[in-house]
Amino acid sequence: MPYDAPGHADELTDELRARWNETIARAYASQSESLKSRFFTLDPDALRNGRSSDAIKWPGDPGKPAFCVGEASAQALSDWGLTGRRAVQLEYCEYLILSGRDATGALRPKRVEITTEFREFWACIAMHDPELVRAMATEVLGAEPTWQELYGVSDPQALSVEEREIAFGHACAGHGNDRRLRVAGVPAQPTGRLNMERALFMTHPINGIDDLIYVAIFGAHAYAVSERDQRRQASGDDVFGAFKVGHLACNHADPTISLGVYDRVFHGKQAAFADPLGMYIRVPNLDVFSYRGAPVPEDWVRFRRGKPGSYQRLVFGPPDEHEAFLDDITLALGASEQPLVGGYQLLRELEIGPLLAFGDSDPIAESEWELLEPAAATIACDDAESCKPVRDLLQRFEAEHAGRAAPRTMPDPAT
Amino acid sequence: MAAPLQEGIYHAAGHRPGRFLALLFLRVREGIDAPAAGAALAELWAMYEGLKAGRLRDLDGVSLPVDEDQMTVLLGLGRNAFGLAGMALARPHGLADEYLFRSATPAGGGPLLRGSGLSYAADVRANMATEAFCVQIIAETKLAVDRAVVETWKLLADAAEPALDLTTFYLGNQRNDRRSWIDFHDGLSNLRSEDRESVIAIGPGTDESWTVGGTYLAFLRLAVDLVGWRRLERRDQELAVGRDKLSGCPIVAVDSGSPGAAHELAQGLSGNRQGPGDLRTDPGCPITGTQIWDSANDVPFAEPPAEVDGDAVRASHVQRANHHIRPASDSGSRRIFRQGYEFLEWAETPPGFRAGLNFVSFQDTPGRIIKMLTAGGWLGDTNFGGDEAAHPELASLLTVYAAGVYFVAPVSDGEPFPGAAALGVAASAPPAADPRLATGGAPARSE
Repeated sequence: MPYDAPGHADELTDELRARWNETIARAYASQSESLKSRFFTLDPDALRNGRSSDAIKWPGDPGKPAFCVGEASAQALSDWGLTGRRAVQLEYCEYLILSGRDATGALRPKRVEITTEFREFWACIAMHDPELVRAMATEVLGAEPTWQELYGVSDPQALSVEEREIAFGHACAGHGNDRRLRVAGVPAQPTGRLNMERALFMTHPINGIDDLIYVAIFGAHAYAVSERDQRRQASGDDVFGAFKVGHLACNHADPTISLGVYDRVFHGKQAAFADPLGMYIRVPNLDVFSYRGAPVPEDWVRFRRGKPGSYQRLVFGPPDEHEAFLDDITLALGASEQPLVGGYQLLRELEIGPLLAFGDSDPIAESEWELLEPAAATIACDDAESCKPVRDLLQRFEAEHAGRAAPRTMPDPAT
Repeated sequence: MAAPLQEGIYHAAGHRPGRFLALLFLRVREGIDAPAAGAALAELWAMYEGLKAGRLRDLDGVSLPVDEDQMTVLLGLGRNAFGLAGMALARPHGLADEYLFRSATPAGGGPLLRGSGLSYAADVRANMATEAFCVQIIAETKLAVDRAVVETWKLLADAAEPALDLTTFYLGNQRNDRRSWIDFHDGLSNLRSEDRESVIAIGPGTDESWTVGGTYLAFLRLAVDLVGWRRLERRDQELAVGRDKLSGCPIVAVDSGSPGAAHELAQGLSGNRQGPGDLRTDPGCPITGTQIWDSANDVPFAEPPAEVDGDAVRASHVQRANHHIRPASDSGSRRIFRQGYEFLEWAETPPGFRAGLNFVSFQDTPGRIIKMLTAGGWLGDTNFGGDEAAHPELASLLTVYAAGVYFVAPVSDGEPFPGAAALGVAASAPPAADPRLATGGAPARSE
């Protein structure tokens, strides 16, 4: 298998590259058994005249809470510090707002750190090369973390590979729904400060490569709907309804990936993840942001962990030494000019997506078509049951912030 | 079940909009409150219903050829309507500032949106598409839409206590050659019919239940610089649009002169082009014996492919405006439902006329079009598409003469006009069937 470090952001030894590809292969195996499809391969080089594509992408803002409680409340929940990050940032994109105190002592947003890096990659490197993972963390954080911060121990080299994975899981990565780690007592989310106070890489289990692979292979089938003796391309409601996975239709990322792959497969193309497998931030139109009527200074917009077209990290906002705060930046939306108060507004301007590759079209045999019943109804993304967690979270938010509303200030991220 | 959309949005499979458009803008007079404006709208709506049934206010007993006209009427409520005293319902989210277009500057011109490459024309000092109400008239005959404009004026002028003024109107027509003034095919890459309603209609996932089943109309009156456009070579025009000028087939690559391309040339697989630098279309497009707009080409060719070769092709208009993202119901797809109408009018400056497009789109949130016009990789910082650095004509190809966003309320039984509840105008029981309609007779005018 060919996959290099996501975004080509790190120099990997052959050994490390092999370990990373084993990680991908395990995730693939866990999904491809049940979803077997000849239209998806883990080897982009196996495609006939394969062509890389960045066309499958979606807005980075969390979709589900907006479906359930509207955009204003979705913004409040998403910007709600670590709580919001862990509860609603499920679009393969996580962020934290770093805050600071201004001259009056008010706590204000300073910068937004956005990451689309997979925990699996960081965990893989942490298992096999502690020095490299520390170098990566140093690059991201701007200061070298201690071993204690990274692993919860002072000498990770003394641990076995498995012990390092568990230690790193506790401190930085969480269990990622890995059964072995759960059994070993690793919590779903890390308990160390490095990835709680900062956005080092994604930690929510749903933002993992196994989920990405699942939704891609799920879409890589020759589905069709038979209506009036005609075979037509299936809609999202047809596909997600037929397999009773309506929840996949109710965010930005999952349906876009599944239907994006499916749309190509319907025309006989085979799909793969392009090299490097990762989740990438498309560069937005920065002209919608301004500071004091001028373009935002270049060093306030720092794309990292990748190359043009494959960035995995964005730090947006003035540096510590500058007197300005994030909410001094103006976002022009339509006829409005509004202060940039958090990450949600920024994510609405960003698009996120993997790089896929598609081969030339080949005929689909009659026996390969999977005929679906037409959807009886549109999937309701605001139904009471699926929205209950979001509505409960909003109640918590409102209870905690009752009477605390103050313009141009923010919830304390430590809460 | 959601309330139905108003008529005049031709989204059903096989339905094509009428050939002529009039878009009227109505201002509320100073001191008039919402119920009074609503009462005037109710009269206006009754008059339009009369026209659709073949009745003219001033010509009792005369019957119009309604089958020939096929007139539809749609009413939009603008931001300014929700500023009237006595409004019964709050302004919908989609009419907040962030979903509206910017105003022209008092000196003329100015950006339509920050981050967009579209600007108001230098001689536009006021945007006329920001009035409280707009009325879209579509019909199969020009007379029908013209008559609706004049009848609107008559009714408003006849009012004992005028509440509304017709401040401006825009006329347009569709072309039976499916092309626009830049000579290229237009409207080919519109939404699949099964996706349309989910893009157009406001769904139930909103805290504004009264808007469910409604939609937002976005309007741009765009003039085209045909002088500049015609300075471009055909190849550069095609690369700017992203389609072959004659066939309408999407451009899929710029011939690189690579061995692979040479092989394709040798195999006759390179469409209608000859060599390096030339533009390639799919050699199977259009399907033999058809035109690009025929349904046989809908799936394979009308929609430009998502994967194309070369940044130049990706920079074309059709690639920027539609990134082929599904589900279309997700506003992140930035899909919209378009119903455009060309216009031609006299102008003082050369070439002595102004040609352009009345761009009309319907969507569940105006955020779709705002983002489409401003986002990087989409139409953000671009006037139309294509290589603006190499061809400065492209950077000013389109100029804006008017721009507006209107909420189009769903149809609700018993309301005297769609959205009446918002203005505090009471709904009534549906009227009994008028026996005179069945015989072609005309009732007394409604006053």
